[in-house]
Amino acid sequence: MLALKSVSRHYGQASALDGLDLVVPDDSYVSLLGASGSGKTTLLRIIAGFEEPDTGTISLRGARLDGIPPHKRGVGFVFQNFALFPHLSVEDNVAFGLRYREERPVRDKAEVRERVQTILDLVGLEGLGRRSVGAISGGQKQRVALARTLIAEPKIVLLDEPLGALDANLRERMCDELHAIRQRLGISFLHVTGSETEALLMGDQVAVLADGAIAQMAPPDDLFRSPTSATVARHLNAFNIISGTVREGRLRSPVGALALPAGIAAPDGQPMSVALPYDGISVKPRRDEASDGISARFVTAEFKGPSMLSFFRAADGSLIQSLVHLSEPRPPRYEPDQVYALDFDPELLIAFPERAH
Amino acid sequence: MDLANQSNGAAIDREGALSPARKRARRDEVQALKLAAPGILWMTLFMVLPMIMVVYVSFWTQTTFAIEPTLTVDSWVRFLTSPTYLDSIVTTLFIWIVVLASTLVIGYPVALLIGLMIRNVTLQTALLVVCIIPFWTSFLIRVIAWRPTLGTEGAINSILINLGLIDTPFTSLLFSELAVVIGMTQIYCVFMVGPITFMLARIDHSIIEAARDLGAGFGKIFLRIILPLSLPGVVVGAIFVSVMVLGEFATAAALSGRKVNMLGNIIVSQVGSLKWAFASVAGVILTIIIAIVITTLLRIVNIRKEM
Repeated sequence: MLALKSVSRHYGQASALDGLDLVVPDDSYVSLLGASGSGKTTLLRIIAGFEEPDTGTISLRGARLDGIPPHKRGVGFVFQNFALFPHLSVEDNVAFGLRYREERPVRDKAEVRERVQTILDLVGLEGLGRRSVGAISGGQKQRVALARTLIAEPKIVLLDEPLGALDANLRERMCDELHAIRQRLGISFLHVTGSETEALLMGDQVAVLADGAIAQMAPPDDLFRSPTSATVARHLNAFNIISGTVREGRLRSPVGALALPAGIAAPDGQPMSVALPYDGISVKPRRDEASDGISARFVTAEFKGPSMLSFFRAADGSLIQSLVHLSEPRPPRYEPDQVYALDFDPELLIAFPERAH
Repeated sequence: MDLANQSNGAAIDREGALSPARKRARRDEVQALKLAAPGILWMTLFMVLPMIMVVYVSFWTQTTFAIEPTLTVDSWVRFLTSPTYLDSIVTTLFIWIVVLASTLVIGYPVALLIGLMIRNVTLQTALLVVCIIPFWTSFLIRVIAWRPTLGTEGAINSILINLGLIDTPFTSLLFSELAVVIGMTQIYCVFMVGPITFMLARIDHSIIEAARDLGAGFGKIFLRIILPLSLPGVVVGAIFVSVMVLGEFATAAALSGRKVNMLGNIIVSQVGSLKWAFASVAGVILTIIIAIVITTLLRIVNIRKEM
């Protein structure tokens, strides 16, 4: 188990991490979702030991990690740009850790060769051992980077946007393989990504990093079903976040007055944000202005193959997105600049009461 | 493939007209020739022809006051049988090896500091400029400045005596091989620092972090990652230093008190006494040595891969 307790790291005035707590259980796949600049990479670098935290502690299976130099931590790191040794062959890249590590280097050449072979087979690189790392594809480089890290049998592997440099097709295949490889080895993976689909697909648990701390950590479906804050919901890129104030059991917001789900009893004047799922909206022709709900001008639509994402602009200028799965009846063609009514079932709303300022 | 052949053939067949691709290729060739022409002309006039001339003159007949183009191997025999001149070859090689080693030993850590340890590009550039500042004074002044530094009553001896570390001054500091080596190391070190720095600065820091993450300590990382990746820089630096040191004469003349005679010194003195044929022999031998040294150094790494 990897445990971080109130870890902070500041760069001058700006703080990258601010009292972050995180637990990565043994034998699990945790994905860490964060926007770019949210301190994801800083967090991994602190765990690996390339940087030290200003305050807080890091421990791995009960032993303190902070203060120990990176080459003695037993933490594997897979770099975003792979960071392969350009002058070495695939085999020598993979064997590097075994041969040259300070603690318990493997001096028996036959053993090194055998273990390199085993790990190359595991990541699907049979027969490519003698190639130069300049002569293999991006996906193969990714596998070399993984094999090089896994051969040392680290207790935990940190993956820094490992799929970012791959094209979409390859990314999906690598996702499956990463899962399979991790399960076979029974070690923990901490996978950092900026893509919510990747995070939800990969993780047994998904942790959302926002404002220098973990905003929520939960299994993907729980996270998706019940995000605990508007921030988390925003990271999932599947909800319109609408903020306003409760008045007479309704949410008065700049985009209109919204009915709240039953069971949400909030006093008048209570500030509140709600998350409205992209796919919970039904677009209706314009209705009269006085009634409830959202009226918005159609901007444009994106055809995404199995779904269609439409963008509407509400009266206050905020953007509202509506997603229709094309397994449902195909929506009609909306007219640009035409005002439509966006209807939804109030029970679909997830409400986040906020503290009054 | 077939399609391409057909269309290509068709393009040429039509009244001998060239296809656009061929026309472009031809235009590029002409362009390349135009760009290379001044260089080729210059090198032919001032390097290839003079070198052929030097080889030719080395076989001319030298008398005390004159030289005539009657071919003979006299100068070659005299050079290769004289212990004095053979010694100068040994001296040249010895000084070269020692200076090469000392510039590497002193220069590499400096390059490591500037190229790898310092990540701020502005600071890197500033430090490289600092390395070049000595070049603002002339070569000769930099060499001569070692005399008041190394002399019996020079700066080093005065300081050591005043500190009470020694009673009698070192006399072997100046006018010795040591003085020549010190002088040359100072002058040529920067030519080693530069290329190594540039190679080191190109190393991606995440590669070094990856090696650390895999458990390697600094020694192993240096030996297995940093050194091999900087080797092209070492070779280029070594070529610069070698070419300059092997042809040196001024530092040896100024700091050795004429005790150290390198091939360059032989050439200068022979030209001074109008022994052109003999100077040519020394010149040809020096050129051969330099050619061998460069070829050997280029064997170490494939420079073309680094371009």
